[in-house]
Amino acid sequence: MAASKLDEKLVLGIESTAHTFGVGIASSSGKILANVNYVYRPREGGIHPREAAQHHSRIAAKALREALEQAGVKPVDLDGIAFSIGPGMGPCLRVGATVARAIALRLGKPLIGVNHSVAHIEIGRLITGCKDPVVLYVAGGNTMITSYIDGRYRVLGETLDIAAGNCLDVFGIKAGIGPMPAPEEYARRGERFHSLPYRVKGMDVSFSGLLTAALKLLGEVRLEDLCLSITETVYSMLTETLERALAYAEKEEILLVGGLARSRRLMEMIEEMAKLHDAKVYAVPPEYAGDNGAMIAWTGVLQLIAGQTLRIEDSRVRPRFRLDEAEARWRMLGL
Amino acid sequence: MEDARSIEGGMMIGEKLEVIRIGAEAIISRLEWNGFKMVSKHRVPKPYRFPELDRWIRDRRTLHEARVITSLRRLGIPCPAILLMDRSEATLYLQLIEGVELKKVLDSLPAEEVERLANELGRMVGRMHRGGIAHGDLTTSNIMLDRMGNLYLIDFGLSAITDDLEELAVDIHLLDRSLESVHHRLRAAFMRSFLKGYATAAGMDFLQTLIEKVKEIRSRGRYVEERRKRH
Repeated sequence: MAASKLDEKLVLGIESTAHTFGVGIASSSGKILANVNYVYRPREGGIHPREAAQHHSRIAAKALREALEQAGVKPVDLDGIAFSIGPGMGPCLRVGATVARAIALRLGKPLIGVNHSVAHIEIGRLITGCKDPVVLYVAGGNTMITSYIDGRYRVLGETLDIAAGNCLDVFGIKAGIGPMPAPEEYARRGERFHSLPYRVKGMDVSFSGLLTAALKLLGEVRLEDLCLSITETVYSMLTETLERALAYAEKEEILLVGGLARSRRLMEMIEEMAKLHDAKVYAVPPEYAGDNGAMIAWTGVLQLIAGQTLRIEDSRVRPRFRLDEAEARWRMLGL
Repeated sequence: MEDARSIEGGMMIGEKLEVIRIGAEAIISRLEWNGFKMVSKHRVPKPYRFPELDRWIRDRRTLHEARVITSLRRLGIPCPAILLMDRSEATLYLQLIEGVELKKVLDSLPAEEVERLANELGRMVGRMHRGGIAHGDLTTSNIMLDRMGNLYLIDFGLSAITDDLEELAVDIHLLDRSLESVHHRLRAAFMRSFLKGYATAAGMDFLQTLIEKVKEIRSRGRYVEERRKRH
């Protein structure tokens, strides 16, 4: 190994909070050396935790082997083993945790428990190069506005009931056009705007009343107009609360994380809002937007440097691990 | 509006001296009109919003804020008085409060003063809630502190005239979270005194019912992802 590589740390990270089993390898110089992800897709209906966990157990060895090959790294070269400790589904989390413990014990390397939500933010900071953003986290079932303040990512705002993506997905499915992005595509042909409940409470939002009202209008007004009204209302609520959070946290960057970050119209709105405040907008590219192993590996690197590792006996999974319960000590080190 | 006179046509009142706050939705400027100091609160159009939605939101919030302030003053809750309303420009002309946002000074105040203010705020919010008004954006940047140590509530664009427990509980939830995120070292002591003051004004039984509701709201928001994943 070259001399300059002596203090380069390598961490392997395992993601298994829900339907994705992923293995990533990241280095302390900020390189993603491997990112191998397998997604469990139920034949019908929603995700079943036990079946997803079985899928993860079946695929684990293969994913590990492929990640090591992709990175061209031998297990002995690793400096730490990270896994997503929560939040997520217990049975799925336990698969990742068990695999991580076994490797860490076998190699005698530190074990690192990573908060899944923190990892979404950290991979976003790494890939986009933003430093201290207000984050709009709109993944799967999640709608949250967060920012780093004094040692942790604090929750500035969130949904009081259902997630934004969920609201649009359910509307699309009940309207017979399917989940996102269908409602947004229909919205482009919309002309007339119909008023729907616009519920913003400080930096919090509420979508259930809006969804009910929109569903009632199905069949009574043009579907394209209804799609326009619901998407415009949802995105305006998100942009407005984000704007308020930006002012409140006194930050100059915005980072969009998660599936809805792919929406063109939402991105356009947020960019227009950011212009008013001279703020910069960053979005996580699709490759790293969904659940993935690389984000766990990279956050593992940060935690290893900051000394946030775990003893095996303290490594029980935490299905309800909140974002603001996780310390972010590397941020105090300026990382 | 009984207390506020409405003017039309977007005429400018007074002489604009300086912009004192550029908030997320409004620009607050200090004005002088015939030697009388006041502020204007102009809800600026948001280019990112669909035009009809934008007009509707700005008009509704301006009108609503005027209505709520009128009710609050009737309840004797300190907040800036309304002098004029210009709906066509989504602008309110309000009494000037010479003070600072609580957010800016809270962390530097002595512990006893923090407790006194928290208790006083609790009494104000308790009285407001019993009067059927939820603030809707109760954070430390929407509370003003003047030189005499008096508190004022400001910014009622998101408020609700309601006796729905949920709406009232959201106020407590928002205040607690604004402390948690920005003043987390003071949070426990502040909330303790706040709730004491609240109970004095609204009664212990009412407070307890409300706290149950706050817990329910918290459990709904925070764990949405996890609950969805589990079903």
